[in-house]
Amino acid sequence: MAESIDLNRVSFIVMREMRSPIIALIVVYAISILVMVSIPGPVIEGKTHNMSIFHALYFMTYTATTTGFGEIPYEFNNAQRFWAMACLYVSVITWFYAIGSIVRLFQNPFFVRALEERQFTKAVKRISGPFFIVCGFGDTGSLLARGLSDHGFPAVIIDDNEERIKTLKLRDYRVAMSGFCADASVPKHLLEAGVQHPNCKAVVAITNCEETNLKIAALARLLNPGIGIIAMSKVEVFEETLATLGGEVHVVDPFKTFAKVLGSALKHPEYTGLSQWLAKEPGATLNKFCAPPMGHWIICGYGRMGHEVNRVLTLHGIDTTVIDPHEATGSESPAQYIVGRTTAKTLVKARVDQAVGILAGTDDDGHNLGILLNARNLNPGLFSLVRQNRHENRLAFAAANIDLIMQPTMVTSRRILFLLIAPLLKPFFAYLVADEPDRQQELLAVIQRLNDKIGVRQPHLQTIFINENSSHAALKYLADGNSLRLGHLIRHPDDLTKQLPIVVLIIKSGDTLIPLPSDDYQLKSGDQLLLCGTQSAVRLLNATLNNEYTLAFVQSGQILPRGYVMQWFARRQIFTIQN
Amino acid sequence: MNLEKVIFGFFIVLSLTLNFGFFLGEINNPDHHNVLELFIVIVVNFIATVLKLGDRSQIGAVLLSTSLVADLELIAAATYWTVAVHVTETGMTPDVMVTIISLSGGALLANVISVVILVSETLMSRL
Repeated sequence: MAESIDLNRVSFIVMREMRSPIIALIVVYAISILVMVSIPGPVIEGKTHNMSIFHALYFMTYTATTTGFGEIPYEFNNAQRFWAMACLYVSVITWFYAIGSIVRLFQNPFFVRALEERQFTKAVKRISGPFFIVCGFGDTGSLLARGLSDHGFPAVIIDDNEERIKTLKLRDYRVAMSGFCADASVPKHLLEAGVQHPNCKAVVAITNCEETNLKIAALARLLNPGIGIIAMSKVEVFEETLATLGGEVHVVDPFKTFAKVLGSALKHPEYTGLSQWLAKEPGATLNKFCAPPMGHWIICGYGRMGHEVNRVLTLHGIDTTVIDPHEATGSESPAQYIVGRTTAKTLVKARVDQAVGILAGTDDDGHNLGILLNARNLNPGLFSLVRQNRHENRLAFAAANIDLIMQPTMVTSRRILFLLIAPLLKPFFAYLVADEPDRQQELLAVIQRLNDKIGVRQPHLQTIFINENSSHAALKYLADGNSLRLGHLIRHPDDLTKQLPIVVLIIKSGDTLIPLPSDDYQLKSGDQLLLCGTQSAVRLLNATLNNEYTLAFVQSGQILPRGYVMQWFARRQIFTIQN
Repeated sequence: MNLEKVIFGFFIVLSLTLNFGFFLGEINNPDHHNVLELFIVIVVNFIATVLKLGDRSQIGAVLLSTSLVADLELIAAATYWTVAVHVTETGMTPDVMVTIISLSGGALLANVISVVILVSETLMSRL
């Protein structure tokens, strides 16, 4: 109900504000016309010609708008001219009053806001495909919006900072991104953003404020029990609360996510290369990966990042020394702890000459780069791991030739993007890095396959559903009793001897997960596929899944008759129309 | 080689070329335009339309619609010819001829579009 009241509010405000100007106009016109009609008109051939109501209205219409076509139907006498003068002044002033009221109304910031709210609500209602609500449009939000736009998903963006919403409107997104300046933790605004819209798939809470994120998550769960929720949180207490909301909830903690990546990199260096390449990180290739060395590490800055990295390194049996200006607090206090700023002196004390790696993980970019230069001076062979806090400093970080940059906003936005567009990537990666005997070979085999098929081209991740919306031809093909072979499906529709540059990473069929399915896998209705290919190949595959003739051709090599006439001929087998 | 493509391509190109033959000549000179040629154009066009019925692909739908446009304009031209000569008995005056030829010109354009779509589809799939 709240929505309809808001929708009507604009017209209500206009009507209320325009009430007195319109009444004034009616009264002025009525008096002018009445008097004009009753004034004795000019005498022509002995007959007095009073003005008719129609002529008086016509005269008023052009006089009041200061057009002035002259005196009709007969030349006025002086009495009429006298009255016409009065009419002109009064009616023109009344018109100015009316127009002024409208202009004033449109300058009223509250009215403008109501108007924007109405436009926003309408734009959200018009979204036809699946979309996401993104609350918070900072560095993370804008990176996420860019990623969603690249994959063709629209988003509804709410931020309480008007400047950011204004910048949103200037970006060149490939899909519609509606933005609205409001506090997302107010239920009304979440409703306006379409939290109950049947196409709304998930709410992403990535504002700067932890409490706001928690509130948005809780509200979204109450307003729509079935919706997916992704919230950014860096604080343990909030994460616990979020986890108990029920339904599909993902908590993204950039430091924990990064710690996981680092942990995997220690065990499987190839894995980091793969994940960076899939995320389209500039300069990342499948063959380039970073392998954090085992040995003595120095951790500069024992904040949230320092804690997480220290935990992971210690877990892998790596010896660490922590340097931080503050005294160690909490239960996880490291064995070697040096209190003080990171300077040449403290670095030497931390045995920098014997160290193999250094983490510059304070929340100040200038400081981090300073630590890096300082440490390299003392030991040029160090493996460098540096935290980049602000996106705008990327040029300086790129020039510093760092082995591994950790940018919290980038880590968060990438992880959320993967959760939204490729939910199966998480189980796939979990499979690849699991502690099983032959996983290492499998990981290398996947990378080799991706290298052979895609190589230096841009990878494109895509989730495909075998359902009515995204692949109706495939569904029909299955319903006709045919089997849909995966290896045949990704054959090139122009040349059946070749396959498209696509690697199917994992398939979710019902509740079972099939990582790296073979070419013989038979697709079933309701299957969910995660694949990686070039953008054009993915487009071709989508076209095949929605064109029954191409689908039948790649599956069986047969060209089906299209028109009724040819189908009739084919049934009668008057002549065959195969190749 | 796809036999269906051969048959459809044959009819659509035949209808375009016949249509062009009928269209060729002075626009208002009845001596330059043969009624029999118009008849054959309509028949060939009808066959091309029927061949596209039942195709559920996007390109098939567009080809069907351009074919239908050509049919509509050619039927309008033929009806106008019949009415002018036999019903109102105006006879084949130059201004009647002009209307018929401009209608057939419209049908010609629709047929050109059909052929362009057919050719581009074939080039795209390279089968």
